[in-house]
Amino acid sequence: MANGFILEVRGVSKRFGGVTAVNRCSLALEGGKIFSLIGPNGSGKTTLFNLITGVERCDEGQIYFKGERINHLPPHKIAWRGIGRTFQLIRVFPELTTLENLLVVASQDWDSSRRRALELLSFVKLDQLKGEFAGNLSYGQQRLLEFARVLMLDPILILLDEPAAGVNRTLLNDLLSAIQGLQALGKTILIVEHDMKVVMDLSEKIFVLDHGEKLVEGAPSVIQSDPRVMEAYFGR
Amino acid sequence: MKRLALAMALVILAGLSIMPFFASNYTVTFTFQIFMWIALAQSWNLISGLTGYVSFGHVAFFGTGAYTAAILIVKAGWHWFPAGLMGSVTAVSLALIIGYPCLRLKGPYFAISMLALNEVVRALVSYFDSLTGGGSGITLPPSSSLWPLYYAMGGVALTGALISYWVLTSRFGLRLISIRENELAAEAMGINTSALKLYAFLISAALPGIVGGFYARYVTHIEPLGTFPLLTTITMIVMCLFGGKGTIFGPILGATLLSIFQEMVWSRFLFLHEGIFGAIIVFVILLMPRGILGVLQQRYRLPRTV
Repeated sequence: MANGFILEVRGVSKRFGGVTAVNRCSLALEGGKIFSLIGPNGSGKTTLFNLITGVERCDEGQIYFKGERINHLPPHKIAWRGIGRTFQLIRVFPELTTLENLLVVASQDWDSSRRRALELLSFVKLDQLKGEFAGNLSYGQQRLLEFARVLMLDPILILLDEPAAGVNRTLLNDLLSAIQGLQALGKTILIVEHDMKVVMDLSEKIFVLDHGEKLVEGAPSVIQSDPRVMEAYFGR
Repeated sequence: MKRLALAMALVILAGLSIMPFFASNYTVTFTFQIFMWIALAQSWNLISGLTGYVSFGHVAFFGTGAYTAAILIVKAGWHWFPAGLMGSVTAVSLALIIGYPCLRLKGPYFAISMLALNEVVRALVSYFDSLTGGGSGITLPPSSSLWPLYYAMGGVALTGALISYWVLTSRFGLRLISIRENELAAEAMGINTSALKLYAFLISAALPGIVGGFYARYVTHIEPLGTFPLLTTITMIVMCLFGGKGTIFGPILGATLLSIFQEMVWSRFLFLHEGIFGAIIVFVILLMPRGILGVLQQRYRLPRTV
């Protein structure tokens, strides 16, 4: 971490058959900030998340977390090193209760895990539903549950894959303030999101992907006025 | 409520432990078989009901245990009890060898690979005839009394219940369920799914090994076709589904009820009983996919660890 970056992706590529999903992509995240990753559909955002979290292996390139190379590690080890993620398509454990969904993740003894889980449930305002099966929650509530579950890991870096998708306005505001609350706690956050208002309001720096390559990076104001970004989204 | 359940369990246990002193030989034999099915259904439940890796070859562990015990008794002159326990050692070793590659397979692929395992083990047993007697099998010296076997098998069933209880009320059990519910998410949440699946698989192979060992002593003659029948695996599965998969008492309930039911039907409709058994399978899958306890849990909001 000598250079101050918490996560460094260096020249990473991933091919599926003839399709190059991520092409020599590099990006670096400083600790304690909120970043966004945007780009048209199929530009490689989720694949990049999968590479960082070890779900997929890089064909080339390296990924460093806190100065340690992690791109050869299995997902569970990467999780314990401090990278937590949520999924684009919600992946709660439907036949476990809301509370159990969090307890599964816990590493401390049962009592303190339980206390922590209840804290997190009230943080996302799901404490009334702790005994409910996660499969019975609404879509937006399941997103919040996934969000709370990732916090059980007490991650240093949190990857959120479209956290606002399908979440109604009221819940969304809760979610946004929760994300900002995490930043205040010193967490680093990388968000993939299509809702541009969310992206522009939250992030300090935005990376734009197109066809698996990093097109530009910069502050929201810079990105908004960059002609290449418009071109990637809407064509020439 | 909890105390009542515990008291009931103790009364049943006490009843079962003194039963051989007054019950008929038929009843003791029948109860012995129920014990056997309880242990088998519970072990299938651990890897398949709880962890979601549906095994169609669980009888392979049963058969391996049966042959281990038979060979140790006949060729090495062991007492049947330690020989039966050794059945779990070979069954777990087998599970260790094939678990590592097979548990990487998902869904139907795992199910098929386990089915294939059973056929391979059966073929190997037939092939090495100097050790296993090939197709004609192994005959054990006749046993004088069923009593010791009754208690031994009862002990195995009870051990199975205690293991199920321990697993289902622990974080280990929660994590196994999370693998069943969404393996990718479980991994992303820091759960070492490959290791946990393997542990569940090993535990789930141990009991059928011992059951097979004691069963060999009970039937006194084993041969490949009768020791590795697919029907035994199917019966474990149906019992588990009928009672409620992924629960503690489901396999016990399913094994007991279906054994009694089968016995009643079998003695009255000798030629129809397999058809009736098949009809039950269809009935359960269509109307109660979660089994008896699953239905009760939904209706009465019982704790998940019933």
